[in-house]
Amino acid sequence: MAVSNPLRVPQFDAGELDTPRPQGQWRLAWRRLKRDRVAFGCGIFLVVLVFAVGPGAPLYGKLVGHGPNDFFPYAVSVALRPAGPFTVTWDTAETADSDPFAFTHKPPPKGTGKTLLLLGADSQLGRDEFLRVLYGGRVSLEVAAGAALFAILIGVVLGTLAGYYGGLVDAVISRFTDLVMAFPLLLFLVMIGSLFSYGITRWTFGGLLNQGVFQLIVVIGAFTWFYPARIVRGQIQSLRQREFIEAAHMVGARDSRILRTHLFPHLLPPLLAYGTLLVATNIMIEVGVTFLQAGIKLPTASWGSLLAQTWGTILNPNPYNPATTQPWLTLCPSIAIFLTVFALNQFGEGLREATDPRSVR
Amino acid sequence: MTAYVLRRLAVAVVLVWILSVVTFAIYLKVPADPAGFLVDIQHATPAAIAKAHHQLGTDRPAVVQYGHYVWRALHGDLGISWATIGFAPNGTPSGAPVGHMVWSALLVTGSLALGGFVLLLLVAVPLGAFAATRPRSLVDRLSLGVSVAAISTHPLVVGLLLQLFVGNRWHLLPASGYCTVSRPSAAEIDAVRRFAPTNTPVPCGGVGHWAWHLVLPWITFALFFVALYMRIIRARMLEVLEEPWVRTARAKGASEFRVIRAHALRNAIAPVVTMTAMDAGMAIGIAMYIETVFGLPGLGRTTILALAGQQGYDLPVILAVTLVAATAIIILNLVADLLLLAVDPTVARRTGRGVLRSVGRAA
Repeated sequence: MAVSNPLRVPQFDAGELDTPRPQGQWRLAWRRLKRDRVAFGCGIFLVVLVFAVGPGAPLYGKLVGHGPNDFFPYAVSVALRPAGPFTVTWDTAETADSDPFAFTHKPPPKGTGKTLLLLGADSQLGRDEFLRVLYGGRVSLEVAAGAALFAILIGVVLGTLAGYYGGLVDAVISRFTDLVMAFPLLLFLVMIGSLFSYGITRWTFGGLLNQGVFQLIVVIGAFTWFYPARIVRGQIQSLRQREFIEAAHMVGARDSRILRTHLFPHLLPPLLAYGTLLVATNIMIEVGVTFLQAGIKLPTASWGSLLAQTWGTILNPNPYNPATTQPWLTLCPSIAIFLTVFALNQFGEGLREATDPRSVR
Repeated sequence: MTAYVLRRLAVAVVLVWILSVVTFAIYLKVPADPAGFLVDIQHATPAAIAKAHHQLGTDRPAVVQYGHYVWRALHGDLGISWATIGFAPNGTPSGAPVGHMVWSALLVTGSLALGGFVLLLLVAVPLGAFAATRPRSLVDRLSLGVSVAAISTHPLVVGLLLQLFVGNRWHLLPASGYCTVSRPSAAEIDAVRRFAPTNTPVPCGGVGHWAWHLVLPWITFALFFVALYMRIIRARMLEVLEEPWVRTARAKGASEFRVIRAHALRNAIAPVVTMTAMDAGMAIGIAMYIETVFGLPGLGRTTILALAGQQGYDLPVILAVTLVAATAIIILNLVADLLLLAVDPTVARRTGRGVLRSVGRAA
């Protein structure tokens, strides 16, 4: 029986003694991220953006009382110039015009309400540009985030197989990865997107996604998984030789257990950071593919189709006419795309530095 | 060394072959009927449709079609664009030969990419070098900020805004269109004036017009890459400036300008030369956007038009563009690898898969 405290040294209990408790890696990462003001600000912007395009878009639609595909011909002048920002227009889908040579619209019948177009009308059709930017952002973010998730999913599976088992499996998967990397992504996206308009294009999962979104998710994901696969493979290859894996093998842990509890926790931080950067790239791809008429089809708004609105399509580009062109219609989606991609890039960089255990901050 | 090059070439050939098979496979899955290029599907008799299939060669099994295509392509005949094809009563085909189409498109894309890269280096090298000599100065921080913003900007956004404001609203530069380097002959101009539909632009040409019409595309192109290049040159310069030979040059009494230009920059710029070739794949993707916006008849625009037509999938054109683009990327990458090899002979032993790795950045 051990004698307790035989020398009568004054004792402290654990609560009183201020031992530095080891901090979890996530807690540490959070503290580092908060110190990085640019990345943290971008993170807040992204949260606000997700809320704005998610529940915010239909809420705003309810508030002003119309949807993104409603026409307001009174917001377009007789010379076909869409109205600029902060326009209050008649809330009706038809004009009361009877004289085709009049210089202004005839006011609508009495009793017609008014409605606000915050960023003006989107084209000669007179839809609400602000609502379309919100709904378009939803579609673009859905495509980008979905494709990033899909790519990471494939990348994790193939990268893990290649890195953990090595040998022939690694050789086969690595060659396959190299092959997919070599594909001209944009060419194939345009090819597939502009030619097929049945089957997977029409899947909406009961109205959860817009038409064409799922196809873009699958195709973009299928051509961009190689980078996460390489990250995962490299990580697992370097971790596999460490002592703690050896120890786990020694005590008889199965492969699935080693992968789940010992390897995957190490993969999460780099994949999280890389996933954010991948979302930014995917937004660029979605915008490009939709602009080239191979992505989301009208009338569904996406940032790519809003950008193409003034410019037209490749088969019939709209001729420039200073009397009917509204520069806001190019500026609004441009700014939205730039801010989102910029925030995602900065946040991803910040996240990578914050979760890097070798980081000094 | 020879073995290394041969291995690269073998990989490249396999890659081009797989690309052609995939392009062909997509064509087989497309719902549109290629007979629509020759007859009106809605109203033609089944016999006429069958005849059209026979003339295009699409009534044979896919393997035979593919074999036939490869055989002719190996003999330098890329076929005739289906969108323009017609048959004389004796069965002789006529129309725009794909080889010519792709060659002229390649010239356009080449002048866009080449000029863009020159502009990019003209901006990135001096700015990067200057920023490196004065780290944390106003110029350095400004260029860093601009480059961070430029990385996040879509080339479509830059192109559309430049076109809208600089081209269309302020009339500073031509907003769209392409002029060939060689002047068109009087007969060509006359032919357009007489026979082309009204509003067809009169063909222009000459080095001056060519460059003038390409200024906005070049700026758009350069802006996309400038950030990356500037940062790499800056980082390399910071490294090189610490080297002992730079100190020796300074100790010898060389002027600061000479130290930077002849000693530091020369060494810092070597990896950039190989990087330009490696970015070729991405450049073709970016060129696709720029050609569309500014209406340049390059490879990307040719492809999109071949896909977007009423009948869709002009197979000979699409196959040819895919092959030419892939071949161009692979050759440029090979050149880059060989340049790198000339600088650092350990590369050949270190990695055997450089070609594929760098091609992967295509778009």
